[in-house]
Amino acid sequence: MTIVVAYKWAPNPQDAAVGSDGSVDFSRAKSAISEYDPVAFELARQVADATGAEVVGVTVGDASIDTSLARKAALSRGLDRLVIVADDRLAGADSTRLAAVLAAVVRGIGDVDLVLAGESSVDVTEGQVAMTLAGQLGWLGLNAVSSVSATDGGYAIERDVPSGTASMVLTGPAVLAATTDAVLSRVPGMKDILGAAKKPVEVLSLDMLDVSSAQVTLTAVSASRPAAGNRQRVIIDGSDPTAAAAELVGALRAAKVL
Amino acid sequence: MNVSSQTWIVVADDPAVTALVVAARALSAEVTAVVAGRRATAESVAAAGVDRVLWLGEPAEGTPVEAYAPDVARTVADGAPRAVLGSSDGAGRVMLGAIAALLQAPVLSGVIAVEHDGDQIGVTRSVFGGVAERRDLVTGGPAIIALAGGDVGDPSGAAVPVEEVTANPLTTGRLTGVRKKEKAPVNLGAARTVVAVGRGLKAKADLALITGLADAIGGELACSRPLAEGVDWIPKERNVGISGQQIAPELYVAIGISGQLQHMVGVRDAGVIVAVNSDKAALIFKQCDYGIVGDLYTVVPALTAALAPKP
Amino acid sequence: MDFGLTDEQELLLDSLRELLERECPESYIAELDRTHQAPTSFRLALHEAGFASLGFPEEYGGTPCDAVTLMMLTERVSQQGLNNGYGIELLQAKDILEFGSQEQKADILGLLAAGAVPFALGFTEPGAGSDNSAMTTTAVHRDGTVTFNGTKTLITNALDAKYLLVMAKSSDGDDERTAISMYLVPMDAPGVSTNKLEKIVWNTNDSCEIFMDDVTLPESCLVGRQGNGFRQLMRNLDLERLVIAATCLGLAQCAFDDAATYASQRVQFGKPIGSFQLIQLKLTDMAIKLENIRNFVYKTSWMVDQGIPLRSQGALCKRYAAMAAFEVADDAMQIFGGIGVNAGTRVSRLWRDLRGHRFGGGTDEIMVHIAGRQIIREHR
Repeated sequence: MTIVVAYKWAPNPQDAAVGSDGSVDFSRAKSAISEYDPVAFELARQVADATGAEVVGVTVGDASIDTSLARKAALSRGLDRLVIVADDRLAGADSTRLAAVLAAVVRGIGDVDLVLAGESSVDVTEGQVAMTLAGQLGWLGLNAVSSVSATDGGYAIERDVPSGTASMVLTGPAVLAATTDAVLSRVPGMKDILGAAKKPVEVLSLDMLDVSSAQVTLTAVSASRPAAGNRQRVIIDGSDPTAAAAELVGALRAAKVL
Repeated sequence: MNVSSQTWIVVADDPAVTALVVAARALSAEVTAVVAGRRATAESVAAAGVDRVLWLGEPAEGTPVEAYAPDVARTVADGAPRAVLGSSDGAGRVMLGAIAALLQAPVLSGVIAVEHDGDQIGVTRSVFGGVAERRDLVTGGPAIIALAGGDVGDPSGAAVPVEEVTANPLTTGRLTGVRKKEKAPVNLGAARTVVAVGRGLKAKADLALITGLADAIGGELACSRPLAEGVDWIPKERNVGISGQQIAPELYVAIGISGQLQHMVGVRDAGVIVAVNSDKAALIFKQCDYGIVGDLYTVVPALTAALAPKP
Repeated sequence: MDFGLTDEQELLLDSLRELLERECPESYIAELDRTHQAPTSFRLALHEAGFASLGFPEEYGGTPCDAVTLMMLTERVSQQGLNNGYGIELLQAKDILEFGSQEQKADILGLLAAGAVPFALGFTEPGAGSDNSAMTTTAVHRDGTVTFNGTKTLITNALDAKYLLVMAKSSDGDDERTAISMYLVPMDAPGVSTNKLEKIVWNTNDSCEIFMDDVTLPESCLVGRQGNGFRQLMRNLDLERLVIAATCLGLAQCAFDDAATYASQRVQFGKPIGSFQLIQLKLTDMAIKLENIRNFVYKTSWMVDQGIPLRSQGALCKRYAAMAAFEVADDAMQIFGGIGVNAGTRVSRLWRDLRGHRFGGGTDEIMVHIAGRQIIREHR
């Protein structure tokens, strides 16, 4: 059996240059494994260690996601191998398009019974791709997954639901988005990092994949930089806490929010 | 694809739908709801001001609502609406994902405004965690839109009949139980004042400092992600940011919170933001109205004292 | 020449950053400093993540690692503001791995794995520091036992450590190359007593005097060969100097970043003080020193990796790094003005800790002695 970790190699928008016209330039921002994803790697590894399954990392995006650093960063987190689709035609692709490509890769891998993902991505922050992937595959999609363990013939999982923690058993394939605190992910050590260079990587061509084409498209009309960044930024020195507190309370009363 | 002028909402067993109904009404005169889950939910939705309710039938014991996602998607596709609205929380994402996959259409998140633009639908969204905003026209099919769900005001309108639609939910997952957590309901979104704490807090026992301030100021307690996930000091419902609540109180007091974008997105629309942080280089000082650079362990008690009624 | 990071270095530093964020935030370090505690939980975390066995031979469960990378990691931990947080114990353990018996190796590695301090280096005496020939602690071998008598002082980490790595005279004669041997003496052996020293630097490392009165142990406590102790010790001293230099680099970088941020925010006369040229001059010279220390540390590490004999290089590097780093911290204090000397500010801690590196591991002056002799020898 195979467990797929669907992850993203992405920059943090905090490091992007945002123009007054709303353009977002990521060229100076460093990419990394999206901060929501390490938990998916860790869960996959732990489940696979218990069942003997293979753990395959899958990531899709523009050409920049396939660098030797990006490969090793993913492979050092407990994957057995990696499958990448890196094509500039996927630059800025929406969640449905990314999910369609991921689905084609997952189908191609074959005996996958579990896809694990983080609950969102650091750059787009929509939290949608994994659940659309479930839709593409026709599998059960579940988010807010806080634990996964193997059982006879399937998996037992737990989820955070509004009323508490729900337990479920899975007897067929599923796409699970894990909460960031589902498990504490190990930081890769030197052994993992050195070992990463020796693990297999498969690069798939977008043209070879059976990806249905987009029916609905977006036409950009306008963009802007939100104005909410313009706050007053009155900074008070707190080395005398009582004076600082009095100054703040005075200011808040004057602003009529107290 | 032949697109009607209708707006549909999809409901994943959550009766709090008036926010979706209001948004849908703004787009079209006629609103249809597709409801997965219990009959009681469908009946509640039927009285919430919609014109038509399609219900996918009573789930068998242990069937999770997510198992209906393919049925929801087929039902919506058959109806060919111009816009589909669903909740951006929990199972709502699963329903929207299934619809998006079937129709090969993007799910639009972070939505600020939706309106008609001629024959098309224009959507203004906050993108990349809120660093920019973008307005697009949706062409070629329905606009699939994720919105914060919930109730805004009371449902209005006469109840409509619930129409049952045949469904074939997935049978690959079965609910086996729920461990209820004990908690008082929280409505951060409705709070005028919110006092939030982050990683600057050293120990769970020190939370008393923060709740003391929240009481003195008359605010609800909230937190950034590290305190709700990982250490589990504060219930997740009080987590503010991308992975939690997005709120707009009149006053937001952030204590020991560094001001990462993933948190600040959750309070972007707050009236006044106050920060207390010992690190004067903390990002939050660039995004607040008032900031105190100082140790929360001395500043917070001083603030609490300053807010106490004078004897 | 390639000044870029390798993929491995970049990923390792990423991992370390994650670990530091999780296990070693400023609040943790400040608390350790305030209460004079060792960073035990962070050490354990380092070990669990495989950092503590970097540079060890694979046969002992370690992962080979070049000196440049090790020094980058040492620098990074120090840059967090933690003094002596990485590298020292590792290097000392090399003494045991190279010269110790199988039992000694297993014991020491086991302690490292538990996040413990395996041993403190028992070298300095009230009457003998850099002058080894004046050493008075004796080790008398008799009938399969060794009996120790003498006093060691300014011993760092001894109260935390399981063992003291004792340097003692095992035969008469002043020739340090044949008279001194190396031993592992358990700190709880009968006859060992300690007196804790209160010092104003290095709060996260304890320091004490150690008295050995007729401490008798089986001869198996000998490390390596009898009479070979000094040579064994010298073997890794250059690496130790390098670790100290990298530690100074990180601490100074931390002080610089704090000072530069403060200068850009502290407003006087209606402007941030960083807009005044006197402050800019300080920051500029601090930046130059940091760049020099960094290049010195990396180049020296590279020489180690290439197997190029260091000769005077290790001492030169340690002297320069310790002095320049302290100058950086001192300027940082000056930029902070009165705020900087408040107990509990990070810059005051960095300033104190960097002051200690001007004698820890050999004084600035003894580095002149070591390097100067070597320079003259090479030009004779």
